[in-house]
Amino acid sequence: MNNTIDPRTKLFLVLCISTIGLISRDVLILFSITIVGIIISKIFGGNFFVLIKKIKKLLYVFFFIIIIQSIFTRQGNPVIVIGGFEIVTDLGLNRALGYMFRVLIIIISGVIISTSSERNTIQGIVQLGLPYEFAFMTAVGIKFLPLLIEEFKDTYMAIQLRGINIMKLPIWERFKITSYIFIPVVASALNKAKKLSISVESRAFRAYDRRTSITSLKLKYKDYLIILISLTTAFALIYLKWI
Amino acid sequence: MKDFIVIKGLDFYLDSKAILKNINLTIDSRQFISIRGANGCGKTTLSKLIMGIYPYRKGSIKIEDREVSEMSLSEIGRKIGYLFQNPEKQIFTSTVLEELSFIYKYREDIDKSRKEKEIDEILDTFDIRNLKNKSTFFLSQGEKQRVALASVLLNKPKYLILDEPTTGLDYKRKKMLSEILDKYKNKIGVLLISHDYNFVKKHSQKIISLEGGCIVYE
Repeated sequence: MNNTIDPRTKLFLVLCISTIGLISRDVLILFSITIVGIIISKIFGGNFFVLIKKIKKLLYVFFFIIIIQSIFTRQGNPVIVIGGFEIVTDLGLNRALGYMFRVLIIIISGVIISTSSERNTIQGIVQLGLPYEFAFMTAVGIKFLPLLIEEFKDTYMAIQLRGINIMKLPIWERFKITSYIFIPVVASALNKAKKLSISVESRAFRAYDRRTSITSLKLKYKDYLIILISLTTAFALIYLKWI
Repeated sequence: MKDFIVIKGLDFYLDSKAILKNINLTIDSRQFISIRGANGCGKTTLSKLIMGIYPYRKGSIKIEDREVSEMSLSEIGRKIGYLFQNPEKQIFTSTVLEELSFIYKYREDIDKSRKEKEIDEILDTFDIRNLKNKSTFFLSQGEKQRVALASVLLNKPKYLILDEPTTGLDYKRKKMLSEILDKYKNKIGVLLISHDYNFVKKHSQKIISLEGGCIVYE
């Protein structure tokens, strides 16, 4: 199914999923979208769980934010009370879960888009009428994402190879050490961006105002059907819930 | 000399392609061994298997009589220092001094009172005193490599694995690395992975050639 679906259809789908994810505050709706997104990504040939496994270490940061968010929300009814102190409230828990599902929806959106080839994604964006530069940078971003994840893993490993048992460190130091992972990854991303810009410039990128393309994408019946279903569902949800 | 690393009948597959086949190797704790071979012959894979970075299913790798698969990365890292092919991956702080101080901050088993003295010594050994307060973002490849190796050696490993340490180094820097290795020669053993035959020949007590995932010459 993956190769037969137009990348523009996937972009529409992702737009609908992420819009509802962004505006909805209902945990149940966010949970449902997450599940639907996982199923759709699987149908399109993506593997959400493989990606989650790859970014396992990053999930600590998400969980940390979730815990902080639930602890620091003081409104709502207490759920966990220790020694008279309200540690977690129902509203805090609700916000934390909402945050978690939104992050998952972003990851799922990435998985869905990445099921199309880089070339087709660029072509799809261009045929939507957006500038080629925008399409190119989007495709580059998608392409570099797995590389950045690999670098996260390598640095995490390099820290452990210095003889540091991260899991035995106190929780606060564990999070502090996780922050070190970002330095080489950011440095490497900046380096890659610099090298890429030199490389594309040296190949006469934007030498001509108008680009031509040998490939042309054509929407099929099932593309129209998917776009129609996703737009109708998104509008129905927005109308029923918020209007 | 004691057998430090013992590899028996090691096979390693990546995406059902055989990378290493029936590797048998014994390395003494003070031995300087080099592994040579064409690109993709499995040199780096072998070093990563020893370091516990890649899991193996068939065969055995033991470090001081302990199976690598049963050891954590931090345990292996305390015994063996590993210099990545790309040292950028193992520099994770913003200044050189911070990088060298890293283990004193997070390792509970290191004598923290010796921090100043040991860092001072290593700055001279690696000729990086002038880089002490420099940002790690702006180091050259050679400088990054020296900082990474200095940080690894501050860990006081019993053995050292260097993956292509001469790549991208000019004559002067290569000579400097050579002198550093000479300084440590009788203190710790080294497993050197390199294409640089002259460098390998100068330092090694034993040279191993890998071809198609097999040891063809020892």
